[in-house]
Order: sequence, then C-alpha cells, then structure tokens
Amino acid sequence: MNLFGLMEASGSAMQAERVRAEVVAANMANAETTRTESGGPYRRQHVVFEANAKATSFADVLGNSTSGSVASNLLPLGTAPNKAAGGVHIAGVVQDPASPLKRYDPGHPDAGPDGYVAYPDINPLTEMVDLMSATRAYGLNGSAVQAEKGMITAALDIAKG
Amino acid sequence: MHIESIMSDQLTRYLDVATTQAKLTAQNMANVDTPGYRAMGIDFEAEMRRMLGDGPTAAAPAQAGLEDGLVARPDGNNVSMDRESLNLAEAQLRYRTGITLLKQQYQMTMDAIHADNGK
Repeated sequence: MNLFGLMEASGSAMQAERVRAEVVAANMANAETTRTESGGPYRRQHVVFEANAKATSFADVLGNSTSGSVASNLLPLGTAPNKAAGGVHIAGVVQDPASPLKRYDPGHPDAGPDGYVAYPDINPLTEMVDLMSATRAYGLNGSAVQAEKGMITAALDIAKG
Repeated sequence: MHIESIMSDQLTRYLDVATTQAKLTAQNMANVDTPGYRAMGIDFEAEMRRMLGDGPTAAAPAQAGLEDGLVARPDGNNVSMDRESLNLAEAQLRYRTGITLLKQQYQMTMDAIHADNGK
C-alpha cells in the first residue's frame, strides 16, 4: 500500500476544486458580458466531476497519459486532468442551456431592434454557494494531505535511531 | 533464529489495514462533489481478524466495500464530510500506534545487538 498514491488522490481533488472555483470566478466576472467570441451574451459554465477509475493495466495508464481527452481542451489555465487512482477529475466544463435574460436598454450598443439587450443568466447567490462549497471541499482535501504527510513522516521516523 | 518477530509481522498487517482505511477515506473525500459516487470503507476489526488468522485468506489484501446505511444527497452522492474527517483521524491514530509499536520492536532488536557493547 502506497501512501503517496493517497496524496495523489487528495491532490487531484484539490486541483478539481480549484478549477471549479476558477469557473465560478469566470462566471461572476462575466455576469454583465453581452459580447463573446461565439457571439451573443456570455453563457454560465459549470464543471462536471467524475470519479477516477482504478488504473488496472499498463495500457490504461498509457492511454490516460497519451490521449488528450476532449475535456482537457475546455479546462481553464492549461490544467491537465489529473487521473490519480481513486481520485477525481473534471469530465468537462458545460454551458448552462438557460436562455439569456432580456433587459430593456435601447441605448445599449448590443440592443436588438426591439430595444432589449441579452444579458447572461447568472445568479450571484448560486455562484457564491458554489464557490463556498468548492472552498470547503478544497480545505477538506487539504487537511487530508496534511494527515497523509504526518503518516509518511511517522513511517520515516522508524529509520531514525 | 529470526530477527522478525511475530509481533512485527502482525504490526505490518495492522499498518496495511490502517493504510487501506486512510486510502478509502481520501478517496471518499476526493469525490465529495462527484454526482452518484458511493462512499467506500472497510470493517477494520473484521479485516484485522482475517489478516491475523491462518490460511490462504490471511495474506490477501484488505477488501473494500461500499458503505451502507448512509444518507444520500439528491445527486446520489452519500459522502459525509464529518464522517470522513473522523475516519481519517482514526486511521491516522491507528497508523501512528502501529509505527510506534514497530519502532519499539526494532529498538529491542537493536538493544540485543548492542547488549555487550555497553561496558
């Protein structure tokens, strides 16, 4: 049994939760964005977590490290998916299908012919709850890493006189 | 004569079970936000009894199973943060106990080696 594998599982969770917090931050930053590259207002994003399967064979391990999954293209800030056995990874970042909010503002440059502007449907409450949950889960896994470090240090103590 | 005592062999198994418990807890903690994930765990006492017993099953690694009787959230996940934190603290203490006892075993061997060097 490998204690370092355990730290990897906790580490993968910290990575995933951090990406979740980044996505929430991006949502809040773009709460009023009416223009995006793909056209139209910004769409709320959210992450989908998936449990890592146990890497059973060499082929699986190799497959995980070579085939860049589709999800990795969507991850912000160039984070590669960490597929530690028993850990968690982000299966993808999906767009909220909710239709944009229409607000009457005929003076706005992005207003339609009817005078309505399409704003992203982002609720600060939902985003804050999501952010808090991500922070808590990050902290939980952080203390798990701390505990695992303590265990490894204890094992190393055997070798000391 | 063996340097390995029965005690240190059993302690190694004890540490193995404690590590498995910590590993499963870390795994549950990592998946605290994964929809549909079911918490895993082991029955420490039953595993220990099996590991210490004779026979072919004694050497097999500890068996993990799904924990039942936990309340699941609407997304199907039944991991509880408090329960896992407690489990981790418990596994950590067990591990430290095992390490301390194992150190003592090695110390006894060292004492025997150094017995006539003293004076």
